[in-house]
Amino acid sequence: MINLPYYPGCTLKQRSSHLESSAIAAMEKLGVRLSEIDPWTCCGAVPPPSSERIMNLIAPVRMLRALRDSGENRLVTICDFCYNVLKRANHSMRTDDLRRKRVNAFLRENEPVRDYLPEEEPYGLPDYSGEVRVYHLMEYIRDEIGYERLSKEVSGRLEGMPIASYYGCVMLRPRKEIELDDPENPTIMEAFVSALHATPVPYPYRTECCGSYLSVSAPDASSRLAAKILGSARDHGAKGVVVSCPLCFYNLESRQEQIARSSPGFKPMPVIFFTQLLAIALGIDDPDVLGFGMHRTSLEGLLGASAIGAASGSGREKDR
Amino acid sequence: MDDRRSETEEQRLLLRKEAVRGEFGLSVDELSGQHLYACYQCGNCSAGCPLASEMDILPSMVMRLAQLGQKDELLASRTIWICASCFQCTVRCPRGIDIQQVMDALRQMALREKVDHFGPDDIDPGLAATVPQPGLVSAYRKLST
Repeated sequence: MINLPYYPGCTLKQRSSHLESSAIAAMEKLGVRLSEIDPWTCCGAVPPPSSERIMNLIAPVRMLRALRDSGENRLVTICDFCYNVLKRANHSMRTDDLRRKRVNAFLRENEPVRDYLPEEEPYGLPDYSGEVRVYHLMEYIRDEIGYERLSKEVSGRLEGMPIASYYGCVMLRPRKEIELDDPENPTIMEAFVSALHATPVPYPYRTECCGSYLSVSAPDASSRLAAKILGSARDHGAKGVVVSCPLCFYNLESRQEQIARSSPGFKPMPVIFFTQLLAIALGIDDPDVLGFGMHRTSLEGLLGASAIGAASGSGREKDR
Repeated sequence: MDDRRSETEEQRLLLRKEAVRGEFGLSVDELSGQHLYACYQCGNCSAGCPLASEMDILPSMVMRLAQLGQKDELLASRTIWICASCFQCTVRCPRGIDIQQVMDALRQMALREKVDHFGPDDIDPGLAATVPQPGLVSAYRKLST
């Protein structure tokens, strides 16, 4: 069992707990234990507004620095926002001399004041300069587990299921800081879907924004975007949409009632996290782990016939 | 005759030297860390923006107006509040300008001068109880002081 340092972030502990539970169970099946780093704090949650050149870096760099000091050189996260924030903080520690010096100086000042002389000089540790590699869980699966191995580990429960991948915005962009995949023509999710023996469905809206925080401030605009994305996936033959970001999930899944109200002709579309898909493919049935109870749109159109049916021992196969 | 004249004047931008060469463009440059004059108006940002249809001023026009120091026009626009910071324009800009940062800079300038665009009182309680935290944090950090 490989121990992999893991940063959950706020959303996975509460409003998207099914993303975490399915990820932990699925990775365990693949021989990787996601071990939560301790302590962790909020990463800032939002790609930083411009003028905050230093403050927005303190929280992510403090965690990354502590992790490096404990002898680790990698960290995996699942939420796209956490990934974006941690990755961009890392990038500026690697490339921006001034910000690196300022942030590290701030963190040193914040170290606890000691009333004794420590054996080792606590301030002797070198500045943090981006030594920890931050992975998205999807990236870890691609680079460290490999799709070849993955396709051998999974069962054929998803065989031929037409699934559209939705990337959203912060997982891929901005390109020079994230460098996960080509932001215009990404392939990582489609390759993941193929490795699970499902059939990736290409469609034009897979990297188009779902509205992000506009579901809070301008819900109608967000609904229009979501209707376009889901409608396009359906028109291209998808039975479900796979996502990795909690906010994408909310905008595309939890708001389908509102979307239907503002877009006549809209039909419900199953949306699922990539970790839930992975867990199903690895043969996990535990409803607490899969967390389908957190879904507001029925998954029957996607899973009803094959995976859920097979899992609950439906007689359809036998009857034939 | 006088009426017609004032009408056309209203519709025109006032390209006075003080505005074009004024503080505004420099502060946008400083806040965003970008160089406004790198933009050569190809329109790629507007063509790719998923929210262009909701905007009153397209992203490429925002860049041009900022170059020309048209502060009032920009800070009163709907565009800066409807931009969802999805970075589509940023990855597509052939001049390497992080246009999303320019939008962030404009939002900050507007917030410094005016009241909140979107505050805690504006959110539907049912929504607040369900929307994932990044959505709430983003909305408050980008759209309120």
